[in-house]
Amino acid sequence: MSDDLKIVGLLCNWCCYGGADTAGTARMQYPPNVRIIRVMCSGRINPSMIFKAFDEGADGVFVGGCHIGDCHYDAGNYKWSRRSKIVEDILEEFGIEKERFRHEWISASEGEKFQTTMEEFHKTLTKLGPLELK
Amino acid sequence: MLEIKHTLCPSCSVGCGINVILENNAVVGTFPYKRHPVNAGKNCANGRNSIGNFVNKINEASISQANVDLDKAFAEVSKEINANDKVTVFLSGNNSLADAEAIKSFSEEKNLDLVFYADDLRNFEDVASYDDVEDASCVLVIGDVLYENPLIGRRIVHAKQNGAKIFSNIKAEKSVTANISDETTSGSVQEFLDTYKDNLDDSSVVVFNTVDCEDDLDKIEELGFKILPVYSKTNTKGILSIADSNSKEEIIEALNDTKVLLIFNDDVVDDFDFDFKSISKVISFSAFKNNTTEISDIVIPIKSWLEYEGSVVNAMGETQTFVPVMESDVLSVEEVIEKIKG
Amino acid sequence: MSYVLAKSKDEEIHKAGECGGAVTSIFKYLLDEGLVDGVLALRPCDDVYDGVPTLITNSEDLIGTAGSYHCAPTMVGDLIQKYLIDKKIAVSVKPCDIRSIDELIKRHKINPDNLYTIGLNCGGTVSPVSGRKMIDLFYEANPDDVISEEIDKGQFIIELADGSEEAVKIHDLEEKGYGRRNNCQRCDVKIPRKANLACGNWGAEDGWTFIEINDEKGQELIDGAKKAGILETKSPSDAAVEGRSKVENIMIKMAKKNQDATYPSVNGIDDWSRCISCYACRDICPICWCYENCELNKSYFDEKDIPPSPIAFQGVRLSHMSFSCCDCGQCDDVCPMDIPVSLIFDKLQKKYCNRTGYVAGVSTDSKPPLYSPDKVEL
Repeated sequence: MSDDLKIVGLLCNWCCYGGADTAGTARMQYPPNVRIIRVMCSGRINPSMIFKAFDEGADGVFVGGCHIGDCHYDAGNYKWSRRSKIVEDILEEFGIEKERFRHEWISASEGEKFQTTMEEFHKTLTKLGPLELK
Repeated sequence: MLEIKHTLCPSCSVGCGINVILENNAVVGTFPYKRHPVNAGKNCANGRNSIGNFVNKINEASISQANVDLDKAFAEVSKEINANDKVTVFLSGNNSLADAEAIKSFSEEKNLDLVFYADDLRNFEDVASYDDVEDASCVLVIGDVLYENPLIGRRIVHAKQNGAKIFSNIKAEKSVTANISDETTSGSVQEFLDTYKDNLDDSSVVVFNTVDCEDDLDKIEELGFKILPVYSKTNTKGILSIADSNSKEEIIEALNDTKVLLIFNDDVVDDFDFDFKSISKVISFSAFKNNTTEISDIVIPIKSWLEYEGSVVNAMGETQTFVPVMESDVLSVEEVIEKIKG
Repeated sequence: MSYVLAKSKDEEIHKAGECGGAVTSIFKYLLDEGLVDGVLALRPCDDVYDGVPTLITNSEDLIGTAGSYHCAPTMVGDLIQKYLIDKKIAVSVKPCDIRSIDELIKRHKINPDNLYTIGLNCGGTVSPVSGRKMIDLFYEANPDDVISEEIDKGQFIIELADGSEEAVKIHDLEEKGYGRRNNCQRCDVKIPRKANLACGNWGAEDGWTFIEINDEKGQELIDGAKKAGILETKSPSDAAVEGRSKVENIMIKMAKKNQDATYPSVNGIDDWSRCISCYACRDICPICWCYENCELNKSYFDEKDIPPSPIAFQGVRLSHMSFSCCDCGQCDDVCPMDIPVSLIFDKLQKKYCNRTGYVAGVSTDSKPPLYSPDKVEL
């Protein structure tokens, strides 16, 4: 990969981080642009983290959590899913395309889903080009 | 009981109104004074934080940082003044008109050296009003007025919204004033004035809170257009018509052979490139603890801005009066001077 | 919910009140009976353009608070929260006041049991300084001669000391950038139905206050004041009820029209470039209550740049409370740089409302849906 797009990936410890691990152990290729930050739960992610990532140069932010019903803390992913709507609404206001912010439910066994999601996201961002904040 | 009272902001010469929230004679917060014609309830961070000083309130006199009886401190001050031939009095833009008069006549009576620092600016007879700035067709700005004096900055923003051209001279690389200016230079004030003076007409205003040197002031005045100097202290403008101002160099020279220094209601140690500890006695009259009281040999408490009555002249030359909003048995500057006289 | 017309039986209050003096009478009843420690109401200070929130503890001082002030865009929500949290008080509230109080109650920052809220119908407020300028420009009168103002039938009416009146259409004033504050122009909550009572002159006969009783506590207030012999009431006619709702609907329609027209995108306004990071908008916001624990002060977020990056400053604030924005406009009022801050917060609350149906300070949900522990997705 010759591009220098920056993707920040905030992954839940119990599911999506495991998914990324699965992808790695199985040697599935996915774009190296993603910088993974492990969090204990998608419900722990607050909008400020997304904004800070964009403000400091991320071209895309990905959030991965457990499938609905699988949350290690019962309802964290419900909280995140509601919060993500606000994040979408606010990003739109600051001229950040909604495609630059993506979230997906990926379980620890879904290495392949992690791989394809990252490839798709990278493709989308390549099309959009680097983010230029006003 | 909760009370909201009107007063004036003590943080610069703009003269904004501010409401303070009081509870059992203690100030606990600020509240917008939206009726005030200068600022319509808007206050900058300095203004709103000015009440933060009250945690550092001084209520007792001290000698060598140890609390003493007030009368003993007065006697000590009188003794120092009478025993030394080189006594300098530091007049401040924080003093009200009446206080400044009292300090001045006291200095004359006792034959003391009076110094007064006015941001290296000086008095100008005719100055533009804030409304003039708003209605100007062109505004020349020297210094980051938007950031340093936001409530005048706001008038410059209004001028821009009314279609005025804004040109600014700012030394810093980035500034909010530059962001709203049509053009910004960072060279000398002289060059700046030469470049843009042809844009000026009768409704234009030159707003400045700093200059490079004294010649710049002459040059600004010679332009013949409306000017608005903005000072860093509440009543600098008012005191300029009572006392002559001194440049930093003049003040440092005076301090060099000073034996006793009297500082009225100001924190000056960080403003001058001078070792104040080299003066044998520094006497500070202050309502709040600050870096100056910290190094002072004698500290006498005076009434704070919320406790006394007085008047000041704001940057546009308007006299503004304020009344006490808190009860206090601390003495005012005038009363303190009576004591050390006797 | 029921309607009643009321007026004061105290002659002095009846005369001083805006329309019958019912609000002042209810306050007097509460103070005299010892049901509250104090009454928080507006009292004119410098002149009629200067309404200042005042805590009254002696019912004889209430007369100074009688009458209505349209040039007093104050906010009492945070005053109660910060300084009166442990007191039993009665307070007069505009719709945005009660909406902020409601949001603070949902955050456990105000105890509703300590509070009697007397709502005042509100067609909008005018900023004092621009209001005086407006009277100077559009009216024959001298702003200093005005003794009261009134918004009625689409007009801004001023009454002078000699008893004469002058009126100008609000529409004409607002077209020229005067009149009501911008957020009032787009506000569509005109009757404070979350307060115990909602009082006003809409639909009322001369000399009477039209009161909508919103809850049991409101009913107790009316019954109590009547029993104490300070208030008399009668039932409003059907025509009065209809007249009142007609006024409300016209006002709401006007607001909706303004809403369609006035929302640019945050990125579309270049005003942020003059932000001086003074945090006045955050500090005045009645919904923001974190103070020194504010995320914006955290070491990982503290913006050193001036102007700050909009997304790192307002973006964070938006995500924290925009869904609870009651569009009181205080942030606009206090911004030294005149940045139209409230516009984006109100816009985001409306977006949120479209997703969830939640109207800040109006909806009956026990919490904004964002905070709810329920297992639901939007």
